[in-house]
Amino acid sequence: METPSPAAKPPAVPPVPAGKEVPFGVNEVRLSARQWLATFVILGLVAMLTPRVWKRIQHFDTGPDYRMPYELSKDYWLYEQRLDQVAKPGTIVVLGDSVVWGEYVLPNGTLSHFLNQQAGQPDRFINGGINGLFPLAQEGLIDYYSGPLRHRKVIVHCNLLWMTSPKADLSTEKEEQFNHSRLVPQFSPWIPCYKADANERLSTLVQREVGFLQWVGHLQNAYFGQKSILSWTLEDDGGNPPRYPNAYRNPLAQISLTVPSAPADDPQRGPKSPRHKAWSTDGQGTTRFEWVDLDSSLQWRAFRRMIRQLRGRGNDVLVLLGPFNEHLLAEDNRPAYQKLRNGIAAWLAQNQIPAVVPEILPSELYADASHPLTEGYELLAKRIYSAENFRRWLE
Amino acid sequence: MLFHTWPFFVFLLVVLPVFFALRKTRLWLPWLTVASYFFYGWWNPYYLILVVYSTLLDFCLVALMDHCPKAGQRVDVIARLTGLRFDDRVLKFAFLGSVLATIGIVLLASFGPKTLRPTMAVFGVIVLLMGLGALYSSRKIWLVISLVNNLALLLFFKYARFVAENLNGVFAWIHVPLHLPDPSALMPLGFQYLLPVGISFFTFQSLSYTIDFYLGNVHRERNFLRFATFVCFFPQLMAGPIERARHLLPQFYKFPEVRMQNFTDGASLFLVGLFKKLALANYLSFYVERVYDNPKAYGAPALILATVAFGWQIFFDFSGYTDMARGVAKLMGFNLILNFNNPYLSTGLGEFWSRWHISLSSWFRDYVYIPLGGNRHGSFETYRNLFITFFISGIWHGAAWTFVIWGVLHGLGVLITRELERSAVYRERVPKMIKQAGVFLFVSFTWIFFRAESLSDALLIVRRTFTAAWQNPYIPALMLGLVAVVWTYELLYESRFRELLKSSFVRVGGAVCMVLYLCLCSSGGGAFIYFQF
Repeated sequence: METPSPAAKPPAVPPVPAGKEVPFGVNEVRLSARQWLATFVILGLVAMLTPRVWKRIQHFDTGPDYRMPYELSKDYWLYEQRLDQVAKPGTIVVLGDSVVWGEYVLPNGTLSHFLNQQAGQPDRFINGGINGLFPLAQEGLIDYYSGPLRHRKVIVHCNLLWMTSPKADLSTEKEEQFNHSRLVPQFSPWIPCYKADANERLSTLVQREVGFLQWVGHLQNAYFGQKSILSWTLEDDGGNPPRYPNAYRNPLAQISLTVPSAPADDPQRGPKSPRHKAWSTDGQGTTRFEWVDLDSSLQWRAFRRMIRQLRGRGNDVLVLLGPFNEHLLAEDNRPAYQKLRNGIAAWLAQNQIPAVVPEILPSELYADASHPLTEGYELLAKRIYSAENFRRWLE
Repeated sequence: MLFHTWPFFVFLLVVLPVFFALRKTRLWLPWLTVASYFFYGWWNPYYLILVVYSTLLDFCLVALMDHCPKAGQRVDVIARLTGLRFDDRVLKFAFLGSVLATIGIVLLASFGPKTLRPTMAVFGVIVLLMGLGALYSSRKIWLVISLVNNLALLLFFKYARFVAENLNGVFAWIHVPLHLPDPSALMPLGFQYLLPVGISFFTFQSLSYTIDFYLGNVHRERNFLRFATFVCFFPQLMAGPIERARHLLPQFYKFPEVRMQNFTDGASLFLVGLFKKLALANYLSFYVERVYDNPKAYGAPALILATVAFGWQIFFDFSGYTDMARGVAKLMGFNLILNFNNPYLSTGLGEFWSRWHISLSSWFRDYVYIPLGGNRHGSFETYRNLFITFFISGIWHGAAWTFVIWGVLHGLGVLITRELERSAVYRERVPKMIKQAGVFLFVSFTWIFFRAESLSDALLIVRRTFTAAWQNPYIPALMLGLVAVVWTYELLYESRFRELLKSSFVRVGGAVCMVLYLCLCSSGGGAFIYFQF
């Protein structure tokens, strides 16, 4: 005989009726629909107005030869504000990485400075370089933070340094830590060496889209040493034993409403700095780069997309290709380099993109593989200015 | 997948609309099951095997238990063995299945990969017990199988290494030439030996169902998907609250009523939880980590403040998780039980445990303390039972002596203060604030053992708390201010000024401030502390 199933009977202990006995919680933060609506309206207004008001009240002194301070390289909100200030008809923004920014030189030793000198106008060419930028990141910078540049003339520097190896090209499978990871494509195209988790990628996408969060990033960059406010309160002074100078400070007092500017006389840069010296005393190169194939290069693809996007926005684009320091290349490494450079020049010509491919600078005017020294920039500006393509484009 | 991360937000953006779109079909329940399994598998898909296995076994065990008579019944075992003459066909199949499974297990153990042998040995025991359960038509044996299975999973994944290391230490100490292997050597097919996230929660939840069925407190759930959803319901799968079948299962019988208040309440709970986790718990954790990682370098004030900060950190972390879990469930129309009730306002240790991790405390009360005899057999037995319950509660939290001591301290604390808390003098003469401060100080002291990396670290912290120099603790003023604000809010909530907190101005203002604070100050976040349990 089978045991009768108790399923037909009511349960021995009646279940708790859903939604009856369970208390809401132990606080009174229990908003009704109207209260939520009010909250959203207030938050919307704050999110919309704060960055705008901030732009008006924050003192952002730029002046001739201004470039984004090294410490604020990742303050893309400020970069956009800077473009907003300078992108007037007649000005030309020079976009690029540390070659444009001027890694070894002072603000008055950069390419834009010497181009202005050639032009005889102090503010015709604007330094729009950002330290540590590379095409995959620059694409993101143009995409999300360079709106004010629409319909303007721009010079884009193409630095072949980013194609000197699969590692520089970010096409290796091994995880790499690199600058400006918040600017690179997060999902598509896929960057194999970028191993951020889904949360980091998604939060990057959200931050790019929400202006208020970009402004928060600006606050952290400009006033809290690139840290969150909470981390800033816990920051140590590096001593032994460490001290925590911010523990009892008021974080709000940090916000001075004045954007910190780059040091006027940076000891790490300029002719007087120990870093400002030629890459080699004899100028004999032995370096063999593992040049990537142009067709499969992630950086080159990003560069092409960026150029297309700029043109799609109505920008009049001129590409400055190099000059890379060929002096440091071993003899047998040059054909690969030349093939790459010629391939880029051919693509630019094929797409009718004005370009200047300057002659290589003398060896002693390079600080490393791609960065000229002050005199190098001066010579480069002269050569660019004398190039037929450039003059035609300028007119 | 963590509640405070963007992938969870995307997950919810997919799960919620589909869930509501399916409200008029039967598919909403399978959708919840799939979503819950996806949620769990996101962490590590291999762990899913354990959840599904545990769920399936308990579902079958209760079904088999349901086919056994409640009262004792004489069974002709010989007739069943020789002639397969069973009264119940299901039990007959179970018996035959056990026999076949035994053969399969023996074959696999003999001819399969060697790494399968330890697992097969465990399965062998379970299958053997199943055969006995079918043979004797014994509800008790089915219950024992559920207990053995769930506790074996828990013991193996959580405590095996701790036990092996300690026993090896003892063997070496008494010069016995024995050495237990590391439990990772027992893993089948090269699987990694990892602690499955939330194992303590889903095994306890599943176990409570079999025990409750055995005791006649719930009826059998015949729909596997409903039971599977009960065990793995994603909002509370990783860290509770540990729900009971009689509360949660009936909520899966029909699609919950769609009401605006579910959304507003759910969002309110979620926001508070998010704030607790990201703005408070994570912030406090930076300071606690700094001090507890190197206790020798800090003076008494820093050690005391870090200990207090940890007390708040773990509260914000765990109650924040619970709030978010309850909020997400509420968005769908489901009610999860309250797990924390402002525990740091308790005026006695007994009360503390009725306000802290309520679902676990009541689990231990119902399934450990009361079965041990509770308070039914005199003072000595009551105290003994209380002590055993707290001891087990301590070890439940982690495989380390620090957790054992934490549990023992709480056990001793409750024993010592039980009579005191009942006395009229304590209840009527001692000011409430003094009682609250006393409980908070004791609980904070015990947190030292909970948080310290090792027993020696814990003892060092205790010693230095009383002997080290008074140096600047460098605790951020902002941190202290935030804790003070929350404490004040809790005090107001439990005072006659509670009505003030109900005003629209305070509610909207509070919500706006929390969101803005999260945007301005949040520094990302790690996993929840209780995930490791």
